[in-house]
Amino acid sequence: VGTVPVAEGKSVQQTVELLARRLEALGAEKQGTFGVDCETYHTAATLGTQGQTGKLMYVMHNSEYPLSCFALFENGPCLVADANFDTLMVKLKGFFQNAKANKIESRGTRYQYCDFLVKLGTVTMGPSARGISVEVEYCPCVIANDCWNLLMEFMQSFMGSHTPGIPSVFGSKHDSTYSPGDTMVQYMELFNKIRKQQQVPVAGIR
Amino acid sequence: MADGALSPGVNLEAFSQAIAAIQALRSSVTRVFDCLKDGMRNKETLEGREKGFVAAFQESLHSVSRDLGELERLSNLVGKPSENHPLHNSGLLSLDPVQDKTPLYSQLLQAYKWSNKLQYHAGLASGLLNQQSLKRSANQMGVSAKRRPKAQPTTLVLPPQYVDDVISRIDRMFPEMSIQLSRPNGTSAMLLVTLGKVLKVIVVMRSLFIDRTIVKGYSENVYTEDGKLDIWSKSNYQVFQKVTDHATTALLHYQLPQMPDVVVRSFMTWLRSYIKLFQAPCQRCGKFLQDGLPPTWRDFRTLEAFHDTCRQ
Repeated sequence: VGTVPVAEGKSVQQTVELLARRLEALGAEKQGTFGVDCETYHTAATLGTQGQTGKLMYVMHNSEYPLSCFALFENGPCLVADANFDTLMVKLKGFFQNAKANKIESRGTRYQYCDFLVKLGTVTMGPSARGISVEVEYCPCVIANDCWNLLMEFMQSFMGSHTPGIPSVFGSKHDSTYSPGDTMVQYMELFNKIRKQQQVPVAGIR
Repeated sequence: MADGALSPGVNLEAFSQAIAAIQALRSSVTRVFDCLKDGMRNKETLEGREKGFVAAFQESLHSVSRDLGELERLSNLVGKPSENHPLHNSGLLSLDPVQDKTPLYSQLLQAYKWSNKLQYHAGLASGLLNQQSLKRSANQMGVSAKRRPKAQPTTLVLPPQYVDDVISRIDRMFPEMSIQLSRPNGTSAMLLVTLGKVLKVIVVMRSLFIDRTIVKGYSENVYTEDGKLDIWSKSNYQVFQKVTDHATTALLHYQLPQMPDVVVRSFMTWLRSYIKLFQAPCQRCGKFLQDGLPPTWRDFRTLEAFHDTCRQ
């Protein structure tokens, strides 16, 4: 239940392989692939007051939930809709414009270790690989805060010192039930972070 | 051939006589029915016909009863051959010529040996168990290993009202635990215990005795397709399968046949300690994970969390 970018001095490809090897050494089993993608939409200038930049909306898909489509505003609400939400967006062209160049996605392999689900993905934007995403989910537990320590320990076992801090969504959740939307919020934040450091192709450790 | 094997205690002479008597009896019975079938005929006067028929009928009935008497006398002479065989009537199975096709007799002997052995071991076991006074078999003083029929007559007939009472009192005792009671099949209660947002437990009761528990995740479905509680399938997650095992162990540990309500209460208290299943580190190694599992064991007395392999 967390998404984590790791990029090191080596190439993205090498790092992914290294992580995969460590996971397999732990005893994790490969379980096919996964993919998360994200498209950006601008609110059309006509709607907002002149001069003010329009709000950004992100439309995301997750192969884990093939029938759903997630629409998120930055810091805003997360809308979970059926997959044909995409066609609706085409109809709303007048209000929301698709920023084609900004499409970003993460694809990779899905691993299972006991009750943990690990998704190791390469984040690509256009043709170039920009970073690595690691999603770790502990399926039996529905309250993220409860199992954070457990997750930490697990992540340390294969990510070493690159273990991330507690994701911000956890803070606001307290003890309500974790939902797929929360995962998407984390992916959105991760993608935004990666986008911002476009200028530095080989990034340091985050 | 068969008769030869039985010969020691059997009067063969009487046997053949008895067979002859049976044949005689059958023929005389046949005659009765023949006579009835033929009816009254071949006589000139009505009176003559009736008289002749009655006489013939009487005579044939007499012969039937005579033959029957004879047969009874002979059957006493024949005696009871099976008494002599060590395995009583089942011994006759060994004489069955179709034995080559059906290994019934050898299987029977095998089963007999097994049951003998079982009885012996059960006797030893009950002797040993009786020395441990706080365990499940505590109050069985007899040698038999059948624990339930002896232990439960009093506690099995508790009125459902009382069971409801005990359960609802426990429900009120633990605010983070909600208990749903249902009786889908007769008087036995089934409980669905939801512990915080961590897990759900299905408890099958017999009166106030807990027969079976299954632990599942909070997000897992506990009902079958037709809306009943699903008491057979396991959890999909390894953690809860492990906890199910431990809960079954706890059932066997908490036993006090005289006070079943105390047993249920202590079991629930123990179960409640799982509210921190994902938050408590192991008390021995201080870690959260071991082989990918959190500390699933809770000590029966102190309720401290341990990994399965870290407990004593």
